[in-house]
Amino acid sequence: MSSSWEQLFFQILLLVVFCRHINTKTPGPTPPPLVSISSPLPTEIRSVVLKGESHTESVELLNPVNLTLECTWTGNQNKLPNITGFWRKDGDEVENSRLTVQLENDQYNLKRVFSIISEENLGNYSCMFESEAKIDFVLAAPHMHEVRDKPIVSYVGDSVVIVCKMEETKPKPSTWNWYKANGTDKIFTAAEPLRYEIKNDERKTKLVVYNLTEADGGLYYCGAVYAINTTMGLVELKVINFTEPLKPFIAIVLEVIVLVVAIMFYERYQSKKNYTAGKGMNDQTNTLTQGENNEPEEGSSMRQRKV
Amino acid sequence: MAPATATKLGYTPPDGGWGWAVVFGAFISIGFSYAFPKSLTVYFKEIQEYFFVSYSEIAWLSSVMLASMYAGGPVSSLLVNRFGSRPVVMVGGLMVSTGMILASFGRTIVHLYLCVGVIGGLGLAFNLQPALTIIGTYFQVKRPLANGLAMTGSPVVLFTLAPLNQFLFDSFGWRGSFLILGSIVLNCCVAGALMRPVNKNAQSKSEPPECNGAAAAETATSDTSAQSANLLTKENQEESRSQGCVHKIIDPTLFKHRGFLIYLIGNVVMFFGFFAPVVFLAPYAKHQGIDEYSAAFLLSIFALVDMFIRPATGFIGNTKWIRPRIQYFFSFAVSYNGVCHLICPLLPGYVGLVVYAVFFGLAFGMLSALLFEVLMDLVGAHRFSSAVGLVTIIECGPVLLGPPLSGALVDIFGEYKYMYYACGVFMLVPGIFFFIMHYFNYKKLDEERRQTVALEMRTCDEAVQLKMSQDEKWSHLETDKPYGQAN
Repeated sequence: MSSSWEQLFFQILLLVVFCRHINTKTPGPTPPPLVSISSPLPTEIRSVVLKGESHTESVELLNPVNLTLECTWTGNQNKLPNITGFWRKDGDEVENSRLTVQLENDQYNLKRVFSIISEENLGNYSCMFESEAKIDFVLAAPHMHEVRDKPIVSYVGDSVVIVCKMEETKPKPSTWNWYKANGTDKIFTAAEPLRYEIKNDERKTKLVVYNLTEADGGLYYCGAVYAINTTMGLVELKVINFTEPLKPFIAIVLEVIVLVVAIMFYERYQSKKNYTAGKGMNDQTNTLTQGENNEPEEGSSMRQRKV
Repeated sequence: MAPATATKLGYTPPDGGWGWAVVFGAFISIGFSYAFPKSLTVYFKEIQEYFFVSYSEIAWLSSVMLASMYAGGPVSSLLVNRFGSRPVVMVGGLMVSTGMILASFGRTIVHLYLCVGVIGGLGLAFNLQPALTIIGTYFQVKRPLANGLAMTGSPVVLFTLAPLNQFLFDSFGWRGSFLILGSIVLNCCVAGALMRPVNKNAQSKSEPPECNGAAAAETATSDTSAQSANLLTKENQEESRSQGCVHKIIDPTLFKHRGFLIYLIGNVVMFFGFFAPVVFLAPYAKHQGIDEYSAAFLLSIFALVDMFIRPATGFIGNTKWIRPRIQYFFSFAVSYNGVCHLICPLLPGYVGLVVYAVFFGLAFGMLSALLFEVLMDLVGAHRFSSAVGLVTIIECGPVLLGPPLSGALVDIFGEYKYMYYACGVFMLVPGIFFFIMHYFNYKKLDEERRQTVALEMRTCDEAVQLKMSQDEKWSHLETDKPYGQAN
């Protein structure tokens, strides 16, 4: 009897080992790791106390978070014991967000947790108290200060360096991308190494375009890549021909020539007038050559005239 | 001092007429010389990106330009002594223009150093010296006013060029802007065309007054005065002939000139602290927490005050109370600069900085307006050209070293107030030095003038005595002749 128990035990043992072995030997299709949902997101809290009618708060986010937005309102003249509060995202009311808010410590309190994972979760979130008071939370990735509001000017056949910079006070992007025209044509340096070159620093990126043509003019977008989103900066490039600055150049050179000739003519005219009036026997021609070394001759001529 | 130099010139400067057109020409030339290097800083950022160089490498461009401008001083003086102001200014204008045009095609930063820095800087030197020199030939009585007006060119041209450069940059980028700037500086040639050499033959009334006065007391005829005039013009002639050869090169006898030495020593020390406060005004304001636009506004206030005080200083320097002792006025201006800088760190907040900008503008303008006038006053107009050449090349050192040394002070201590104290000391000490030395110098000059007057009186007397004894001899002989033939 004990030998049969032993056999059974041994068989079960073998079965378990075999099954385990099967399990490890036949790797089935592994489901994609749902890290973003299954592993816990970091949490952040933003709270605002509203005294007046409305307020706007900008929230800068780099990575996916569970964001708690808290609104506190001091109320108006009629402090009703219960009011309705709800949340809006980009103007549309958030589902199931309507609550009855009670007056506690002379304040109304509204709080909600949002999962901010990707670009579509960013935007304008508003907490509303009874359509009377509103607090806006603008959720966005760090924006760069406008690089240049005026276009960068360069010339056909020349090269140009376009720079985008994220300020020291803002967090560093993980990488940079460059796009042309409407923000969709990404510039790949590998494809055209003779035309484009991208140099990245941590906070600064430079796009070098060689051998410019007029078609290269237009809008360029630099994208600062963060985990949550990519923020774009806009730079305009203008490519002009060399004849453009040549026109004012020639105009000013002509002006200079005209003025110099006019002054010289006026001088000749004045000297002729003085000559015919009989003033001064030493000709003006003398004055146009030598500088200040006329004194010795002067002295002798004066002496001759006197004596 | 004024009468002695007038006789040394050998003619009376017109003090007006075409002189005012020359002042306008000098205004343009001086304006471009000082303002052009400063206004180019607008392009530095883009050029730095384009050539992939560091900030200090691009700042070198300014330094090279300034160094060439100062080092070219003696060359410029030499050419002015030989050819006069007009050709030198016109060549200078062409040089700067060529430099800028070549630079607009530049492929490397070294190309820019050579074209803008060396050629451009030299061209500007050829503008500065002649412009200053020609004022001395056209003006004597109204010279401080003329100098003050001409020096106003610097802030006015800077005020015009700064926004113009920004506009050019936005429209044409740096290459096109350099090309157009090359044409704009050609206006220096127009300024040069205005610098007609002064007509030295027209006025012959500059006869030595002393002897005329002495002779008029006697019953002497015009012969006596003519003879004594001959004596003095002969002296002038010999003096100028002996100096003529030396003038062809640089005048080394200047180093024995008392006034020139005082000026040189004081200026060398002073220039260490002269430009640094201007350079650091905006960074100091930003360091105090003031925003960029308000800091830039401080510089505009400074430039505006500077612009108005320069002709005013020239006018004041021309008044009969100040003119004879103009060196004291200059010493006051230098000391006032020093005091301003010493007080600056004590003034709180933005209001304090605005007050400082106003007072500093006053001080800077006063000093700039008088800077070359006092040199002319000391050495005289005919030696001014060589003097200013020597002064600029010796000042080259302090001017170039001043701002970097001040910057080092700021870096070491981490704050600006020690730099201001240092600059204040560097200006106050020369100011006091000038006061003391010029007191002695004026005493000596008065003594010397008394001696020369006495000498002239003696020679006049001797000449009169000689003439009278000759007349006696002739009259003695005449009385022996028959009455009818005497005439």
